[in-house]
Amino acid sequence: MTWRRCATVLLLLMPGLGLIVSLIGMVVYVAIAQSFGLYNLNGDSVFTVAHWAEMLDRKLYTRAVTYSIYIGVWSAILAVAFAYPLAIWLRKPFRGSIIIGAILKAPLLVQGLVAAFLFINVISYHGIFNQLMQAIGLWDEPRRLQNDRGAIGVLFLQTWKNMPFALLLLTGAVQAIPDDVLDAARDMGAGTFARFRKIIAPLSLSAMQAALVIIFIGAVADFSFQVIAGPTNRQSLAQLMVFVRQTSWHEAAVVGVTLMVIALAGSLLLAIAARLILKGPFSR
Amino acid sequence: MSKIIVQDLTMQFDQFVAVNKVSFEVQQGEFVTLLGPSGCGKTTLLKMISGFLTPTQGRIHIGGKDVTRTPPEDRDTALCFQSYALFPHMTVRGNLEFGLRQQRTPAGDRKARVSQIAVQLSLEQQLGKLPNALSGGQQQRVALGRALSMQPGVILFDEPLSNLDAKLRDQVRFEIKRIQHENALTAVYVTHDQSEALALSDRVIVMRDGQIEQIATPEDLYHTPATSFVADFIGNANVMPAEVIGEADGGGWILDSKIGQLISRDPRDPQAKKINIAWRPELAHVTPEGPLSGTVVSRAFQGNFTDLHVVTQGQSYRLQVPHSDVSVGDEVAFGLDAKDVLMLEPSR
Repeated sequence: MTWRRCATVLLLLMPGLGLIVSLIGMVVYVAIAQSFGLYNLNGDSVFTVAHWAEMLDRKLYTRAVTYSIYIGVWSAILAVAFAYPLAIWLRKPFRGSIIIGAILKAPLLVQGLVAAFLFINVISYHGIFNQLMQAIGLWDEPRRLQNDRGAIGVLFLQTWKNMPFALLLLTGAVQAIPDDVLDAARDMGAGTFARFRKIIAPLSLSAMQAALVIIFIGAVADFSFQVIAGPTNRQSLAQLMVFVRQTSWHEAAVVGVTLMVIALAGSLLLAIAARLILKGPFSR
Repeated sequence: MSKIIVQDLTMQFDQFVAVNKVSFEVQQGEFVTLLGPSGCGKTTLLKMISGFLTPTQGRIHIGGKDVTRTPPEDRDTALCFQSYALFPHMTVRGNLEFGLRQQRTPAGDRKARVSQIAVQLSLEQQLGKLPNALSGGQQQRVALGRALSMQPGVILFDEPLSNLDAKLRDQVRFEIKRIQHENALTAVYVTHDQSEALALSDRVIVMRDGQIEQIATPEDLYHTPATSFVADFIGNANVMPAEVIGEADGGGWILDSKIGQLISRDPRDPQAKKINIAWRPELAHVTPEGPLSGTVVSRAFQGNFTDLHVVTQGQSYRLQVPHSDVSVGDEVAFGLDAKDVLMLEPSR
């Protein structure tokens, strides 16, 4: 490629890619710089690793990191795991399949905060769920389900909210697999699970990776579900960032940079793990 | 032993009957072709034999076992798909090994089997490639190899050559026949191409509207078609109505048709006074002394012969002659041997 052609391509890319790169680059740069004491909003800017040392020393921070990773990874896995069978079921059109598909995607239209409030209403001490469990005789008395310590509520909300997105991506990928290919696998002796593991999953791997990564990034940085339905003894990284911002912008920047690093590294790891499991040496 | 017995097989989709009470047998090691036009039910029948469709009625036995409701993964059959249906994310080796892995064949045996198939089908150089890096003919061979690797009792082909060009089709056709013969496989082959059916098969089952029209060897099918449909479908015979006038001296029957009076020495007796008759366009003797004649309305040079479309008293038909300088509008005289005029079903 000549320099002239190179310059033309770069110029053509500039309005779109340039804007994205410069905006993201600026945010990342400022966040990293602030985490090292620069761009101080309240005083002199001095380069220091003290803010990192301070945060790494705090149990609150390390617990938030592990908790956010836990929420991110499980939300992504559960959303994809629930979406796959539905995508396969909806692969071929049948009477009512469009309506079912539309209903399944309805959570995309509900705001996260609204969903979270609805959820805690349902599972509250005198809520519908407790009443139902007592009515059918499974529980003798209502149980406290809100803000559970295992963050099951948050995982439920994340899965509920993100599953339709995974379904959207996976449906297209699964529909693109020709019937003959699946029939050939069946003809060669592959049962339902073998067909999924050896044919459907590898052929829809890109969609699965996209779903895992995007859901992971969203869930790892969750704030609203955590604040409303999450456990009270733990904080997510987003929650911690808001919390420490009240005392130190630099420490909030440390949490922000951590979130970005986890999002990037976690996404890469999830994508690589999915590829290795489904297309690599573990796939046979 | 992998004999196939199909008894009274029916497949109905809502009100539409795709296959209607079809019965036949395929002997161990026999190559049988299901031949017919689009929509005649041949692929539906093949899908029932392979297990992808469960018949509405009837039974299928393979190797003495009733497999009517056995799923495809548990049948001793392997299907070669029209689209090849290769696994696009697996190499040629992965495709060839797939069935063997499902059968949990030990690694050593698996490797030996794949090598053997690769040599048999000249795929040694392609084992590491993905299907999209192969030509159509190579993909077809991989599909065939994948089916063969399973060492099935019965191999089924669903129009496997329809995506290949004419030259490659000829080449692969002979390979299929050779491999089927070498492995003594019981084979059922679906096609709408009569030349493929005639070249490959031990017997051909001609289908029409979900029913069997005729089962015969290629030679019998060509020379003694049972119905007008078969005569027309196999080799484009001239089919026309005629009236049986009486018996001819020296045997045979005198027939009156629009193209003139003919004598038939078909060993079958006429089924009615008014019947359909058939004769092959290439069996006509074009000669000035011929007792029959017609006007040439079109002419098509086909290389080894010339196709003449002729009309006599509004009845159109074809003549195929090796060399001809006849032009459109000319009168052409010809004769037919009595043994080549076939008497078919009653005409409407």
